[in-house]
This record gives sequence, structure tokens and C-alpha cells, in this order.
Amino acid sequence: MATTANAATTTPGSAIARNEVKPQSQKPIYTRFSQQEMHACKPLMTPARIVAVFMTVGVVFIPIGIATLLASTSVVELVDHYGHACLDNSAAQVNQSLRTREERISFIKNPSNPKNCTRTIRILKLMKQPIYMYYEITNFHQNHHRYVKSKSEPQLQGQQASPEQLKICAPEDSVGGQPVIPCGLVAWSFFNDTYSLALNNGTSVPVNKKGIAWKSDMDKVSSTVYASNFQNNNPSAYIGGGKLPVDSPLRDNEDLWVWMRPAALSKFRKLWGRIERDLYPGDELQVNIQNVYNCFSFNGQKKLVLSTTSWMGGKNNFVGTAYLTIGLLCVALAIGFFFMYYSHPRPLGNTKQFSWNNEKQVKQRGFQSTQPRTILR
Amino acid sequence: MAEGASNQYREVTRDHLEKFGADGLRTLCLAYRRLTAEVYESWNEKFIQAKSALRDREKKIDEVAELIEKDLILLGCTAIEDKLQEGVPNCIETLSRAGIKIWMLTGDKLETAINIAYACSLVNNETKQFVLNSDVKEIRDIEDRGDAVMTAQAVSSLVKQRMEEYLDEAERVADDVDMALVIDGRCLMYALDPLIGRGTLLKLCMLCKAVVCCRVSPLQKAQVTTLIKDDAKKITLSIGDGANDVSMIQAAHIGVGISGQEGMQAVMASDFAIAQFRYLKELLLVHGRWSYIRITKVVAYFFYKNLAFTLTQFWFTLYTGFSGQRFYDDWFQSLYNVLFTALPVIVVGIFDQDVNAKTSIKFPELYKAGIYNLFFKWRVIMLWLVGATYQSLVFFYFPISVAQSAQNYSARMLGVWDVSTLAYTCILMTVNLRLMMASSSLTKWHLISVGGSIGGWFVFASVYSGIQVSFIQENIYWVMFTLLGTWFFWFLLLLVPVVALSLDLLVLLFQRWFFPYDFQILQEHGKFDSDDYESRTLLDHRPSTVEEQRRIQMAQLPKERSKHTGFSFDSPGFESFFAQQSGVPPPAKSWDIARRASMKHPRQSTGRKSRH
Repeated sequence: MATTANAATTTPGSAIARNEVKPQSQKPIYTRFSQQEMHACKPLMTPARIVAVFMTVGVVFIPIGIATLLASTSVVELVDHYGHACLDNSAAQVNQSLRTREERISFIKNPSNPKNCTRTIRILKLMKQPIYMYYEITNFHQNHHRYVKSKSEPQLQGQQASPEQLKICAPEDSVGGQPVIPCGLVAWSFFNDTYSLALNNGTSVPVNKKGIAWKSDMDKVSSTVYASNFQNNNPSAYIGGGKLPVDSPLRDNEDLWVWMRPAALSKFRKLWGRIERDLYPGDELQVNIQNVYNCFSFNGQKKLVLSTTSWMGGKNNFVGTAYLTIGLLCVALAIGFFFMYYSHPRPLGNTKQFSWNNEKQVKQRGFQSTQPRTILR
Repeated sequence: MAEGASNQYREVTRDHLEKFGADGLRTLCLAYRRLTAEVYESWNEKFIQAKSALRDREKKIDEVAELIEKDLILLGCTAIEDKLQEGVPNCIETLSRAGIKIWMLTGDKLETAINIAYACSLVNNETKQFVLNSDVKEIRDIEDRGDAVMTAQAVSSLVKQRMEEYLDEAERVADDVDMALVIDGRCLMYALDPLIGRGTLLKLCMLCKAVVCCRVSPLQKAQVTTLIKDDAKKITLSIGDGANDVSMIQAAHIGVGISGQEGMQAVMASDFAIAQFRYLKELLLVHGRWSYIRITKVVAYFFYKNLAFTLTQFWFTLYTGFSGQRFYDDWFQSLYNVLFTALPVIVVGIFDQDVNAKTSIKFPELYKAGIYNLFFKWRVIMLWLVGATYQSLVFFYFPISVAQSAQNYSARMLGVWDVSTLAYTCILMTVNLRLMMASSSLTKWHLISVGGSIGGWFVFASVYSGIQVSFIQENIYWVMFTLLGTWFFWFLLLLVPVVALSLDLLVLLFQRWFFPYDFQILQEHGKFDSDDYESRTLLDHRPSTVEEQRRIQMAQLPKERSKHTGFSFDSPGFESFFAQQSGVPPPAKSWDIARRASMKHPRQSTGRKSRH
């Protein structure tokens, strides 16, 4: 508590008066903070303001929606389901026909079977370069808990990881006493379909495979790390995906880093390469696919996607549609609220509406007290 | 009291005592007795023994005291003016307008207590009084015969009978008049007994506007408080200033001690200490009410923000093969409640005010919202939680839609950690904005805390994304910078809060327009209604005729219409007692004249005779 002491000097020259002090006041110091009287903005939702706010939101959102929708619709995207068809094609090459899932699984697992096929993609609209190639997989839970944590950062950063540290990669942590580099399920299930493109007139379309991974993903990895003991050649070992070259640093293998970034949903696409030439309507793209990745075990599908990009990214109508819808909804709400306020006016700050002046409200609100009183008799 | 010579004074003294009491003075009787040294010594031995007894100490002390407190010779009586503190009647009136029932528990005698009750505006002349007095002639006669058992039986049966009569009558006239119960300490002892009158007492008290208990001991004060607290299940507040109030203060839900001349025992035993009784008004109507609003708001908001946060993660598990993969990074998840959403809640919990202090006091009826628990009913909570569920759907599905295709012109895909950080940022923005939407007043601290929390999030996420440490999983490395460079991030940051908050906003707007709370009406009133409040009454119609206006003005004068003056002090009644004794007529007061002038006009609509 603050105390204020006042020295009373009523008569000059009076020694007693000069020594006298008034009794100390116990009153606390007045500040706006301690008395809770700080300057405050008390935004009040009046009809005018509400209508104005909704209109503003609508007016701001509609152009954004249109712009993003235009960007999204300007993206050309071609999708080709090749998983099953490609395998049936390969099976036909060796005079087998695959009907059941088990047959497909055993066919694709057999290393002596041919796995390539050629798919034709017809270009209908002009696609300006760069055109991006993605592979899309469905029903593959890269966001599964055990899967996501199954990799070893210390190992990838070039440290000598102890077997305890590698336990997180189990069961892909070591083979025959030797640690697997890179360990873990994520690397083990490395996607290894390859595609080579050619136009129908025979010219090959080069695919640039540099710069497909996020640079930050690659920076995380030390350049001294090389693959070793990875998907080793023991034929009875359970192979999950592609093999890695043992002579180049792991860091340079951009496909691996694209794969190692876990996707959010079970249906995802990942960047495979970049085509740096335009494709014109009427072109027919011949894609020669090495269809080695076994997606039948998890009942998934494989697709190849060709897509251009806009300033926004790939083809995604959702954002544009959402903005446009919300914008229109806000404008509609503004108009609706306007009519509501117009048809059901309520004088603001009307004290007649107090619940204690209004018996009906007292009963409505479920008050237990049953003794409403007017102030005067 | 001794028989004999002093008997003649007894009746006169009793008469004087009643007159003093009627004037609201505190009376004391004085009597004496001569003791010799031997008598004292022998008594003192017994007394010391009784004081150091291990069992039934109180009873033994009482018995020993009885031995010496007899054959006293009456000297006379004195009367002290114990001035009421200023502002007490106003305070009590305001609190009863706020829906708080006020009881007075005092150790004084009946007449004093009744007079003080009039002085405090606890009762007025129109209140129907039920008096349960054990100091009546019949009981005194039985007592004089000396048989304690008979006396007890007599009082007990009197209490039982009277209480039942009163309860019947009270139930009949409950809706028409205000009622007050005045009960004596001895009667209270029997009335609190479950076998005799506890149930009746409870019912009667609940019907009365005010209850006055006189001649109560400190233990009985606590017992009365417990009666309401446990049996009637109401919230009780006890306020007192002396050591005899300590047990009452401790028995109630809230104990308030008045620090003052009577010492600090009450203050030390209490939950709140105030300096004067009238500050109780501010304590309850301003701070108590704000506290209620703040607590309900903060608690509901806390459940809401955690539900929104966690349900988003729940929807994610549907897509992870039910493996339990967390949506958010571990650090982000831990720091959600600790760092990024904590400060704004604290600021709201400290500073939120729906109406300012002056308005809270001008409209005590606002307090009823707390009594009826309007802001914490199930439907209010459910609204928050349904809002949280809807928002969690928005928080999950909007960012996830972004994961389906490439994200920026570089065409690289976003992984699960990018999407989750995007969702997290949207959640933070939205829940903080929701808090601002729920606040009635925004000070600079609100803006600082919200801005600080969101800014702090960006800083933290950037720092976290920028460092590379080997012993933690590097999921979030560079994620924030990736996001900051993506158009989708910024668009979603604008879209998601708007979509998420729109449902809550619509509900709020509808409620505010069609079913406004009283405090919301007052908030509007403060800004728009330009009427001067001092001159308006809270009737639902303006007085139109001259007659009605005069009636209102008369009613605002102090009421002086009965034998009970209504004011113990500075009142014509006080002066007139002594004036009467010395045969001087008291001078006429201005309100008296005005009152007499108003008598000429007929009274309306009550149908009862007014008492003069």
C-alpha cells in the first residue's frame, strides 16, 4: 500500500508545525492499471458495422478467389493409370494372364519376368515448359507412425550410429551384423519405377532429374554418407523397393530424398522429373515404363502425372473455389443481415428489454425465482 | 437477580430498555454484588479447576460462573449509540436489488435489532414481519419457577407452533408482500433442531425477503450459515467485523471481514477484507461479477481451444491407418498451451469487463446473471464445443486439400510436416482471434499478447526450422521457410480463420440481436442511448400524468411513516425521545411536511391501508 505523508506547515516559523505529519494515508496509488480503468476499445457489433464487415470480406475474397481459380484452371494436368495395365501388358509378353491379386504379386516379384511396357499419352492442350512429371501412389500410408519414425538422422548426418540408435529403424537396421545405410523402412521402400519419354515421331524427350528434391532435405545429409548393405543381393531377402548406387554419395540421389519426405495422406504424388520443352496439342507421348514397384501387395494404384505449374503451384481448384464461395456467401450474408435488421429492428440500448423488466423473459430464461418485482408499487 | 429492594426497579428498567431498544441504542444492564475475600478465594479455586479441565471445559466454566453470578443487585441500564456506518442502507438496498438475500445476525436484543433493520432498509413499513420472541411473559413466568426442563419444553412448543403458523401464512401471501422473519436466539436454538423446526425454518426463511436473528451467539451465527449452505444449497457470504463473527465468517462460502476498531480477528479469519461495509457493494457487484464473467469465459475458451487443436489431430488419425501418428511436431504440440495461447487467456482473465464499474453499480440486477449461472449453462458450453468441432474440421481439411498437388512454382510437394505446420499456424491465428471475438473490451495488453503470441510463433518456428541438431528427428528442418515462400500458406492463413470463425460469428450475431443479454443491452446503451440516466427511473413506462410524477418524487423522499423512525440517528425519533422526556415537542422536518402534504392524495392500487 502506498503511503503519502504530508508535512503540515500551517504557520511559518512554528517548529512544532514543521515536524507535524498528517496521518499516513492507506489509499493505494491510483493508476489506470490497478483500478482497471485502462483505455479499452469496446467494439460493438452494430448492424451497420456487421453489414459493412461482411461486404468487405466478400469484396476482398471474390477477386482472390477468381485469381486463384484462374491460375488453377490454367494448369494442364494429365493422369495415366498404368499400374495394372502395364503389368497385364508385361504378362502378355510372356503369354501369361493375370487375374488375381496373388498372381500379380508373384509376377511382379519374380525378377526374371519382363516388367516394362509402353504407354501412350495424348496431349490435348498446349503445355508450356517446364512440365513436371510425378508418380502418384494410392493407399500407401507414408504417414503411418512406425513408418514415419523409421529412419536415422544421425546416420544420415554422417555419424557412426550405435546399434541402439539404429534400433529405431528395425527391422531394417542391420543385416548380418552390419548396419544398413540408409536404415529404416522409408528408405527400404524406395520407389523405383523409371520412365523414359519419347514423342511419337521418335525424338526422345529428355527429363531433367536435377532439382527435384527440396534443397533443405539434401542439406540435412552429409556428403560423406554412402549406401552400404542396402537391399542386399540375397535373393531370399525381402526387397522393399529400389536399390541405391554404392559409388556415389547418398546425398546426390535426389529421388531418394523426394521419397523420404513423408507425404501427408495415403494418396500422394511425388516429383520425378522435369521436361524442359513444350508439348503441343496433338503430340503423342510414348512413355516407356519400368514397372518394377510392387503396389499390389498394399492394394494401391500407380499413376503417372504430367502437369504444368502456375504461380500458385499445381492444379488445385479447392482454394479458388473456397475463396469464391466464401466471398459470395459473405455478400449474401451482408444482404441477408441488412434485411434482417430492417425487418426486425431493435432499438439499441433499449432498457425496456432488460430481463428483469420483462416477465416473459424471466420465465423463458429459466430463472428459478418467481418473484418479479417492479421497482415502484 | 436478587429479590428484594431492587425489584421495584425491574419493571421500570425493563421499560427503559425497551424504549432504548426501540430507538436503536445498544443497551447494557448493570448489577453488582458484594463478595468477601474467602468467598472469592473458594470460588476461584473451583474456577481454576474448571478452566484447566480437559473435558467439557465450557460446560464446567459455565457451571462455576453460575455459582457466583447470582443474587446480583440491579443498578440500572445504559444505552450506547452504535452508529451505523455511512452508506449501509444504500448498500443493502442495492444488494437486494441484485437478487441477494440479506440476513442480519446480531447479539443485540430484539427491539434494537428491529430498529437497526429499519435503519438499514432491510425491512420497511410494508414488510410483513413474523416475530419469534422467547422473551414473552408466558415464558418468563415459567422460567421464574426455575424448572429448566419445563422452560425448554415451553419454548420448544412455542417455537414449533408459531413457526408452522407463520409458514402457512407466508405460503398464502408469498406473491403479494415482502416478508421478514425476526427470530430470537433462544428460539433459534430450538428452530435449528431437525426434530422441532429445521425444515419449517428453512422453508420460511426462503420465502422471506430478510431474516433478522437477534441475541445469537457466535456458534449460532455459524449454525445459521451452515443451515443455508448445506440444507438449502445456496452460496453464502458472511460479513462481520468482530471476534464474535469469526465462526460465521469461516462457516460461509465466502467470508468478508471488516477491518476496523473492533480489531483484526475477523479480518484474519476472512477470505476478503474490506474497510467499510459499503465497499461490499463494489466487491460483489463489480469485482464479483467481473470475476464470474472472466472465469466462465476463460474456462469455456480453454476447453474450446484444446478441443479444436486435438480434434484436428483426431481427424488426421483416420488417414494414417489408425497408427497414432501425431499430426503436429512434438515441440509444437507441447508449446501450444504453454507459449502460444497462454498469454492472451491470462490477459482476458485479468482485464475483461463487460460493462464498466459505474454501470455495474447503477444496474445491480446484472448480478442476477451470476446467480442464475447464465453464462455457464450447458447450452452455452455446447455452443463453444460444437464450434470447436466445426473448426477442427476446417483446420484439418483445408490444409489437407493443399497436400494433394504441388505447392509453389517449383512444383515440389509438401510433406506431412509442412501440412501440419500450416494447419498449426491457422489454428493459432483462429483461436486467438476467437478469444478477441469473445472479449468485451480490448485493451492494449490484449493486442500485445495476441500479436506477441502469433509473432512469437513465427519467430519460434523459424528458429526451430533453422537449426539442425543431431539428436532430434529433423522433421521440421526448413519447414517454416518453405511455407513462408508458398502462396498457399498465405492464402490459407487468410481463408481458414474466416471460415472457421464464421459459424461462431453468425451464432453470436443472432443471439445478440434477438436474445440479447442484459449486459449487451447496457453495452449498446452506453454508446447510443443519449438519455441522461440520472433522471430516468427504471419503469417500463414514463410517468405521464402530473399525479404519477408527484408520486415518484414522493417515493424518493425518505420514508417516515411509522413508529419505527427508520433512522436511529440524526432522526426526529432520536431527538424526540429525550425531547419527550423533558416535555419539549420536536421541531417539524421538511420531509415531514412534504409527507403530510402527500397524504391529501389518494393512494393507488395497493388496497392496503398505510400505517402512520
